[in-house]
Amino acid sequence: MEQVVYRIRRFDGEKEFWQEYSFAHEPNKTVLWGLLKIKETADPSLAFVAACRSAVCGACAVRVNGEAVLACETPLDALLGRFGATLVLEPLGNFPVIRDLVVDWEPKAVRLAEAKPWLMPRDEFSAEAGCRQTQAEFKKINAQTNCILCGSCASECNKLSTGDDDFYEPFVYTKAGKFVADSRDGAAAEHLRPVLARGLWKCVHCQECVTKCPKRVAPAEDIAALRRESIRQGLTDNPGARHALAFAGDITNSGRLNETTMAVKTDGLLKSATRLPFALRLLRRGKLNPFHFPAPVEGIDGVRAIVKAAKEAKE
Amino acid sequence: MQTFDVLVIGSGGAGMRAALEAGARGGLSVGLMTKMFPTRSATGMAQGGINGVLGNADPTDTVDKHIFDTVKGSDYLGDQDAIAFFCGQAAAAIREIDYYGVPFSRDAKGQIAQRNFGGQSAPRTCFSADKTGHVILHTMYEQCLKHGVKMLTDRQLLDLAVDGDGLCGVVALDIRTGTVVPVKAKAVVVATGGAGRMYWSRTTNPFTSTADGMAACFRASIPLKDPEMVQFHPTGLAGTGILMSEASRAEGGYLYNNAGERFMARYAPEKMELATRDLVSQAIETEIREGRGFGEGMNAYVLLDLRHLGREKILERLPGIRDLAITFEQVDPIEAPIPIRPSCHYTMGGVDVTNFRTGGTALAGLFAAGEAACVSIHGANRLGGNSLADIMVFGKCAGVGAADYAQAQSREAGDGALMAKTAEWEARLAAAMARGGGPAVASIRDRLAEAMWNKVGIFRRGAEMEEAAAIVDGLAAEYERCAVGDDSRVFNTALVNYVELGNLLAMAKAAVLGAINRTESRGCHLREDYPARDDVNFLKHTLVTLAGAQYELSYRPVVVTEHQPAERRY
Ligand SMILES: Cc1cc2nc3c(=O)[nH]c(=O)nc-3n(C[C@H](O)[C@H](O)[C@H](O)COP(=O)(O)OP(=O)(O)OC[C@H]3O[C@@H](n4cnc5c(N)ncnc54)[C@H](O)[C@@H]3O)c2cc1C
Ligand code: SF4
Ligand code: SF4
Ligand code: FES
Repeated sequence: MEQVVYRIRRFDGEKEFWQEYSFAHEPNKTVLWGLLKIKETADPSLAFVAACRSAVCGACAVRVNGEAVLACETPLDALLGRFGATLVLEPLGNFPVIRDLVVDWEPKAVRLAEAKPWLMPRDEFSAEAGCRQTQAEFKKINAQTNCILCGSCASECNKLSTGDDDFYEPFVYTKAGKFVADSRDGAAAEHLRPVLARGLWKCVHCQECVTKCPKRVAPAEDIAALRRESIRQGLTDNPGARHALAFAGDITNSGRLNETTMAVKTDGLLKSATRLPFALRLLRRGKLNPFHFPAPVEGIDGVRAIVKAAKEAKE
Repeated sequence: MQTFDVLVIGSGGAGMRAALEAGARGGLSVGLMTKMFPTRSATGMAQGGINGVLGNADPTDTVDKHIFDTVKGSDYLGDQDAIAFFCGQAAAAIREIDYYGVPFSRDAKGQIAQRNFGGQSAPRTCFSADKTGHVILHTMYEQCLKHGVKMLTDRQLLDLAVDGDGLCGVVALDIRTGTVVPVKAKAVVVATGGAGRMYWSRTTNPFTSTADGMAACFRASIPLKDPEMVQFHPTGLAGTGILMSEASRAEGGYLYNNAGERFMARYAPEKMELATRDLVSQAIETEIREGRGFGEGMNAYVLLDLRHLGREKILERLPGIRDLAITFEQVDPIEAPIPIRPSCHYTMGGVDVTNFRTGGTALAGLFAAGEAACVSIHGANRLGGNSLADIMVFGKCAGVGAADYAQAQSREAGDGALMAKTAEWEARLAAAMARGGGPAVASIRDRLAEAMWNKVGIFRRGAEMEEAAAIVDGLAAEYERCAVGDDSRVFNTALVNYVELGNLLAMAKAAVLGAINRTESRGCHLREDYPARDDVNFLKHTLVTLAGAQYELSYRPVVVTEHQPAERRY
């Protein structure tokens, strides 16, 4: 391969357009190297940002062929091998674009602040003496502290793509989760409440945030941990928690789900009544029998033992 | 016009620590201006750790030892009163940021873990795996969010505005709109980081370390102190200059030449690889010059071997380093040694701070902290782990100093000086954007880097530096007619780079001037034509001041209290 082509989605503040740049291939280079090459030898007006060029500042995340990556650490050769000589570069998804590949983080910072992402130390600690924490406790927050706020997870999150009114960027849950998991923090509920109020139970488990994170952070796991913690704390007065509890309850009782009572337990009687047309459709098709209460499955004692063990393991 | 009591410029550890301190006081309006999103700062790149005498790993460690190590490390160019103050505060600063949420690695007792670092007589470097700066930076950011510090993101400081009665505020480029905006402030803290990008092609620094704050203060007649003191880190990746943290040597890495020798035995038989950075960098370059390296010219290198540490230790203690070596050098340190070569790392010199307790400068209302500042505690050579401690200790001091000043200040500065500066920059930037033809910014920048690396690098000679001075002057002349290449007002990064290059040129000129006239060898400043340290004539700080268009040179004695200069051996 002699020439590499970057096909870039550009935006000048008013209109969007596509532009192609081609440059000579060199081995063992990165996506960022190509962008710099274009800016320095072909078109100084191409806008993108980068600072550390070593995958720690989070500035350079862009979408290449539809997937968010850190431009500075992503090897060009690997991409060229997979996609051929032309790569399509776009700004991160789910962010407002300022110009070309530059996105606006300011609104994200406002949303992040809502989750109260700061340590609220336990009373036994002080600014003068610092804190104590065991190695094992430190390890519990080590993964989350890797987040560099690059936005890759937010770019690819399927739930966020449907709108951000009822959902946060995945990294917001990770930040909240970090403090809930930090043994030095004494106010888990403070970090939990804001994320509970916005989307904690709405993640669709697509795992995009986990596979796209360049720093091996796993926002989806943090979301799961936050959910468990919210239930442990008795913050169950919401559809998500009720659904999960109903789910667990059914499994413990009978080893199977009871679709009929599930909706009522999850949404409450009134709200589930609004789903009546849907339920009636199911009824008509014989998918739902309101008079059927499932009998326990065979081996229900085993199921209950598993649930009990799982509960104990978590505590 | 936006107006603040305290305006901090730069969102690295120093700037955010200062903003937090001023913000937490309450009752003051505090702004934090930064040319990128706050967490994109050099501070986040620090891997190794932060120094303070906690006595966790070694109960016999003392503040006095930290002081002596720092004085000796600085090759006696550090001011001993400031160093004593700094070492006395470092432990408290670390405990405090633990309380703010910095997730430190822990020892068996649950205390903050500490390890060895170059040039230290005890294991006193606190760390969080190999991402210490990253977690400090993000914790500072979290605290700024908590305290509601007003962030002015995507704003590049251009100049300070000063009238007959003192500081009025600053003018900045609003990168989003391409307009020059005045910001009024009673007190300003400059915390814009270092100038490593003078050596563009071989530096560990991010693209943003372009001496902006240093140059702005310089243009406001504040001296640059010791600008010739530039630290080269021994272990930059051969191809890119990206840093392999000192932790890689601290955890026990070996350095080999092409004959398979651990060559540090020749230069520092006791400390070996753990000698100070200046010594190890000079040793590596000597090996390369004398033909014992691998490769040729700019591509020459030696090897850093971590294999004997074993897979587990590498994965647990040095995971970030391993990732970098794999990504940028295609080498997995578990299996093969890493090609490395020194890389420009840290600017010891900077804005002349005259009151270390407040970060105050000669201009009332102007404070400086962090790598942009020169207190001086690092003298001619900074110890690993002392910079993160510096930005936490002196960032806080500057926050207090600026807040106190703003509270006591009753003067309402007029708008005259601010508006005049704004108009001046607006015209200058408009002209630069409109200009066609002319040399490209990147071309001037690359030639500056080449001249600096080859002629004002690790080994220095008077004659070569005179050549460098002439080259820098020539480049500065070219700069006056260079082309930005983009006339858009929306997020014009070419314009940002243009401004940065002007600052790099000013800083480089001061550095070369200081270096030519320091006819001795001290710390990182190694004169082959003057190989000995000369305490009789040079136990003093260089001060470069702008007078009209002239760069003027003067000196100030080093503060020596307890430790008389002695030969430095490791
Ligand atoms: C790779 C690497 C590893 C390091 N490892 C260690 C270590 O292990 N231990 C240690 O003690 N030290 C280490 N250092 C040094 C240390 O990290 C830095 O010296 C220190 O973090 C500097 O902090 P700062 O706050 O002064 O500046 P920075 O963190 O550089 O922040 C400067 C800020 O100013 C902003 N800025 C710059 N110009 C302008 C402008 N014109 N207008 C507005 N804003 C501007 C920048 O965007 C940035 O936010 C390391 C440095 C590097 C590069
Ligand atoms: S798993 Fe949840 S948070 Fe992660 S990308 Fe999918 S919907 Fe978003
Ligand atoms: S969680 Fe990962 S992908 Fe998301 S912002 Fe943090 S580092 Fe980036
Ligand atoms: S440039 Fe910092 S993460 Fe890529």
